[in-house]
Amino acid sequence: MERALKFNIFRYNAMDPRSVPQMQTFYLDETDSMTLFIALNRIREEQDPSLQFDFCCRAGICGSCAMLINGRPDLACHTKTKDLPAEITLMPLPVFKLIGDLSVDTGTWFRAMNETVQSWIHTDRTFDPKATEERMSNEEAEAIYELERCIECGCCVAACGKANMRPDFMGAVAFNRIARFITDPRDKRTMKEYFDVVGTEEGIFGCLGLLGCEDICPKHLPLQDQLGMLRRKMGWTAVRHLFDGLLGKTA
Amino acid sequence: MQSSGQAVLKPTAPNEGLLDVAQMATGVALILFMWSHMMLVASVNLGSGVMNAIGAFLEDHYLAQLGGPAVALLFLIHFALAARKIPFRPKEQANMWEHSLRLQHTDTWLWVVQAFTGMAILVMGCVHMWTVLTNLPITAGKSAFRIQGGWWLLFYMVLLPTVELHVGIGLYRIGVKWGFVTRAQRSYVKSLENRVTLAFIVVGALTLITFYFIITAVPKP
Repeated sequence: MERALKFNIFRYNAMDPRSVPQMQTFYLDETDSMTLFIALNRIREEQDPSLQFDFCCRAGICGSCAMLINGRPDLACHTKTKDLPAEITLMPLPVFKLIGDLSVDTGTWFRAMNETVQSWIHTDRTFDPKATEERMSNEEAEAIYELERCIECGCCVAACGKANMRPDFMGAVAFNRIARFITDPRDKRTMKEYFDVVGTEEGIFGCLGLLGCEDICPKHLPLQDQLGMLRRKMGWTAVRHLFDGLLGKTA
Repeated sequence: MQSSGQAVLKPTAPNEGLLDVAQMATGVALILFMWSHMMLVASVNLGSGVMNAIGAFLEDHYLAQLGGPAVALLFLIHFALAARKIPFRPKEQANMWEHSLRLQHTDTWLWVVQAFTGMAILVMGCVHMWTVLTNLPITAGKSAFRIQGGWWLLFYMVLLPTVELHVGIGLYRIGVKWGFVTRAQRSYVKSLENRVTLAFIVVGALTLITFYFIITAVPKP
């Protein structure tokens, strides 16, 4: 049966000094297989062309349409209205800089995160473009690919209690990146070097273990297991560093 | 620049890692203590003679006189370590509270419970330890006298579920945080933990009932 959907949508234009943050209500008749992507486009086309929100792929790949859907971060393009109650509240993702209405700037945050964790393979080997590609075991390649599936939508950061309290917290996405490079045999960084990046209060030791990231991730990345592995490895590195110091060895 | 090319502003001190390891270790030690403590106190359900014998054993071997203050010290160290994670600034508290209400996510609420019960246990645990350790040896009659006074019964009716929730949630959270419990095991461990917590609350409640109705109270000398 066709439902009349009520949308409460956050409105604020950061570029307009007269704009006041407020919730605005829209009504829409539900159609078959309606996603929030379709609903928001219809609202913009039929009711208010000034409504701002981000979309690109509409297939859960680009990560640009993440927003708070009835309080929970998720991708609007793969959320069907039939799975939601008739009243739907949409808010922009917290933590990230607001551009306007439901649109946030995740790019700046992710750029800074990738620079902090130095999100590339560190090696002292010189690349030879003429050499045959090196082989890697299938298991290793699959383990890396599993963590590479992250689309950087920002849902895990928005679902993180610590990131909501502390803007300098690195977040699950950064820990997943680090885990990806630890898994990669081509990256020559030592545990101590990873520790320098992530063994801090802003890093893995600031993580409260709330697992909002694990339960919210739209791509179902194994974040709980990566965070657990990282905390154990970094905790062990800290203990070893202490004993090396006590025994007079240099780390 | 180091050999692999990883650049850092300065090498990180291992402090945060060590503090986090110490928080877990003191937590595990206190969980084991609390479980043993509950078992020893619950011995009164088998008769006051059993509890008195255990109390005398602890006293004779100086476990009460030395072990008690040692546990109190461990308790305070654990608080100081865990307090690193508790938001004390009003803005952070407001952000966390709004986030919890918005997200409606069980494990986020578990942490909120953990923070509140932690603060309550800090105060009530100190009161309990002071009362017990300044009135050694521990006997069933003295404990029954306290409980039958009325206000102490109310005190323990609050402290019992507060401690058991903190212990149960704490153990589950150590498991998932440190990766001892994997994604595949999480829901099973969580439900097991809920049942263990409930069992300890039931044993504790039975023990309080025994102290209130069955054991003969012996007033302080």
